[in-house]
Amino acid sequence: MLLGIDVGGTFTDAVVLKNGSILAQAKHPTTHGKLLDGVLAVMDTILRGMDATRLERVALSTTIVTNALVEGKTDRVNLMLMTGPGMDYRGLLPAEPVLLSGYIDHRGREAAPPDTKAAVAAARDIGGIYAIAGKFSVRNPAHEQQVAASIRKTASPLHVSLSSEISGSLNFWRRTNSSYYNAAVWRRFGEFAGAVEEALKRRGIHAPVHILKADGGTMPLPAARQLPVEAIFTGPAASVLGIMALAEPDGEAVSLDVGGTTTDIALWRNGLPLFAQRGARIAGYPTSVQAFRLKSIGIGGDSFVAREADGAIRIGPERKGPAMAVGGDQPTLSDAMIVAGTAAFGDARLAAEAMRQVARPGETEAETAWSILTQAAVEVCRAIREMISEQASEPVYKVEDVIKQNPVKPDWVIGIGGAAPGLAPLVAEKLGCRCRIPENAAVANAVGAAVAKPTIEITLRADTSQGSYTVAELGLAEKLPARNMRREEVRELAARCLRERAAQIGVEAKDIAVVYEEEFNLIRGFSTTGKIITCRLQLKPGVLYTQSHGEGCI
Amino acid sequence: MTGGKLGLVFFPAFDWAITPTHPEREERLLYTRDQIEEEGLLDLPGIREYKPRLADRIDADRVHIGVPDILSLITDAHLVSAGGAITAAEAVLKREVERSFALVRPPGHHAMRVVHGTRGFCTINIEAVMIEYLRRHYGIRRVAVVDTDVHHGDGTQDIFYHDPDTLFISFHQDGRTLYPGSGFPEELGSPGALVSTVNLPLPPGTTDQGLSSVLDNFILPVLDDFQPEIIINSAGQDNHYSDPLANMAITAQGYARLAEKLQADIAVLEGGYSIEAALPYVNVGIILAMAGLDYSRVVEPDIAKCPRQPAATTGYIDNLIKEWRQIWANREKLKREAIAKAGDFWQRRRQIYYDDSGISERQQETVRLCPKCQGYLTVDTEAEGYSLGYQSAFATVVNRDSCSACRSAAYDAAHQAKKQGRRQHCYVQDKQQDILIKL
Repeated sequence: MLLGIDVGGTFTDAVVLKNGSILAQAKHPTTHGKLLDGVLAVMDTILRGMDATRLERVALSTTIVTNALVEGKTDRVNLMLMTGPGMDYRGLLPAEPVLLSGYIDHRGREAAPPDTKAAVAAARDIGGIYAIAGKFSVRNPAHEQQVAASIRKTASPLHVSLSSEISGSLNFWRRTNSSYYNAAVWRRFGEFAGAVEEALKRRGIHAPVHILKADGGTMPLPAARQLPVEAIFTGPAASVLGIMALAEPDGEAVSLDVGGTTTDIALWRNGLPLFAQRGARIAGYPTSVQAFRLKSIGIGGDSFVAREADGAIRIGPERKGPAMAVGGDQPTLSDAMIVAGTAAFGDARLAAEAMRQVARPGETEAETAWSILTQAAVEVCRAIREMISEQASEPVYKVEDVIKQNPVKPDWVIGIGGAAPGLAPLVAEKLGCRCRIPENAAVANAVGAAVAKPTIEITLRADTSQGSYTVAELGLAEKLPARNMRREEVRELAARCLRERAAQIGVEAKDIAVVYEEEFNLIRGFSTTGKIITCRLQLKPGVLYTQSHGEGCI
Repeated sequence: MTGGKLGLVFFPAFDWAITPTHPEREERLLYTRDQIEEEGLLDLPGIREYKPRLADRIDADRVHIGVPDILSLITDAHLVSAGGAITAAEAVLKREVERSFALVRPPGHHAMRVVHGTRGFCTINIEAVMIEYLRRHYGIRRVAVVDTDVHHGDGTQDIFYHDPDTLFISFHQDGRTLYPGSGFPEELGSPGALVSTVNLPLPPGTTDQGLSSVLDNFILPVLDDFQPEIIINSAGQDNHYSDPLANMAITAQGYARLAEKLQADIAVLEGGYSIEAALPYVNVGIILAMAGLDYSRVVEPDIAKCPRQPAATTGYIDNLIKEWRQIWANREKLKREAIAKAGDFWQRRRQIYYDDSGISERQQETVRLCPKCQGYLTVDTEAEGYSLGYQSAFATVVNRDSCSACRSAAYDAAHQAKKQGRRQHCYVQDKQQDILIKL
């Protein structure tokens, strides 16, 4: 039995799943300010009459990190940087940094040692929370570790975030911002995590607790305490995972989560959602937090509909209230769906009145409704095409990738969210795709959280001419076990590291996938002196089981 | 400094090499990629990255006469690299960005009009392909190319040697000490385009000081005089003090200052083979400078190894500038005299060596000096090489503004050569019809 809880903007939803079927679902208004109250209330409701000890896992998609940032309930951070040569980052960071001398070069070699004394001297007494980032620390984390060690020795810090442990990817600017935010929300997330653990214990639930991440994977709560920044923006991730569990997109697809005010669009290839090329932005600052490639447009069930002076129909982007069918005072997209017969709620006569308010002279209510829905579908299609073309025009660095243009060509449109039945089929028709609207789409986010698999990513970079390798995320910098290692051997070494990491945090290391690999020969003076092999492995985002493949499919 | 928006076409061609251990190999821009990504440059709001388009065959045929045809001589990588330069230029002309940098490989500035193979790592001239594309599609006429590669840009010089609308300025390590052994002040262009070719051979060991002197005291004022519609920088990076193939002493700061002062509309990467010690820093410096951002912190780890400029070098450069200022001031007079001396036709014979392909070419060019137009050109070429064997060709070029008499004469010459059958391949490159005809 799996329990999934999704804290949304309006409601906190919970589902209990067994072998892919939904045993129970519950809903409670989100308790802003005291998120945990709503979480516990919905949990108590759903578990009433169930044997809570049979829960195998509790997974939470929460807005705790997002809220801490929005409400400014973050801690001040001692941000210490070793920037080396390059850009001037002043004014580009969420906090004023302390700049330390010393740096690592692109091969991971020490160009100048770090000034740990200066780090200790610069530490301000602002609460004991630190974030440390060095340029090319993913190629050699030693400097970040040395500065952290001297801070730990002298300043008894509460928490130290190292940029190399937060992301194994190049991009010092993004890693710096990620480690700053990780440190800034660390205490707040820790309090929440502690309260969750305590509350579950009191209810006799001993199942492991997982937190959903922006990349659509989960991580066990104890690990999440060290990487809370990963738990930002989990709403859209839960939705995408829900689609994976409920609709099992295969081939190429586009999914629409049609909510009250927006439609979130995602692209799918080989059954997996596409990721954004770089990380997410937090408060406008680019970070290394991985997230799905999503486009959100201001068209949803409650989008307000008006007839412009030039006769054109305008839909959204704002919401001016609920549908007229349920007592709103402005026409909405949902009113058009009710009249067109693709939605059934509220008072149909009021929906018809809404259509009359935006009708052209002589037009029937049904004609008005269909022209509104067609217009909405056209706008969604335009956004989908833009998204596909943006994806196809992203730079690539190999000749082969330029020659083989491979834009997404969706075969399927998958719709979830309350207003999907009214919109997704029209979009599918315009794109020449088939349409799928899974059952239970209303609780897709909670289902997504419940069944999301844990993800872990590691990046191993072997430099055979230096005879060493690093795995930044694990803080590893070691000698290679053999000279002249081949790519397959390096991949196996990386897999071993990933399995060790998984065991360490209590996660099963199944389905290890190669996310990225590159291999370069090092030539010095016209002869080969070694290879640089980079291998990034991941426990891929995915679902523990799908609606159709579990027993007792709904 | 005000931040202007920079378009960046970064194409390191990670799957392409001339040969596995050649300086033009997969690894060349690896560390540059590392540095650019690690800095986070591509996330800056003032920098927009573009995916290179593929150049079409006609884009190459508009510039080159490939023997037997250009597609048999190049790989897809060349079309991506030339297409990358076009992408960068279009971003500027469509006003999406203020200026742009095509950080692409393979390079192109040693590729001449006639192509039998690869020389100086170049097979097609990516700047020339870009320039002629802009002329064809954007109606650009006056163009200045400032070639700052350490090697003389002999290919670009060759292609524009008879074109008074293209000012080609190259500074480089003296040809007496470095490949390709050309680029002396007396190479001024053919009479109709005299002094639109400007060569500044600099002594080995020239530093940022010498570079900035040449730039401030000669190149920038000349550009002001010429009033080009666009300025192209052939931005080779092998003047760096750590470059293994040359002997100059320019630093990343020197390159960044050059980019800042030159304010090129489009920069295109050429050479640069100090792939670890120079390129990561030089490229970050150029990108920041072109984007109008602070580059003062871009300093090589081994900067202490950069030598100082000997006093004799400073004196030599000052003298060279003085002589050149005089030539430039008298350019109209020199041009009139050269035209008068040449009469109706101007001719030159050359030996051209393709180091990468092992080919020797004998070439004779004849330019019709027409009082009504820019005339037309005929090229007679024979090439020999171990793997090539022997091949020969005769080509004529109809210019954009060739008068009807010159146009007919160019076609007649090609048809006659075809009839005589002395050459295996005969071509007309007609820039008015935008077509390369193989007879």
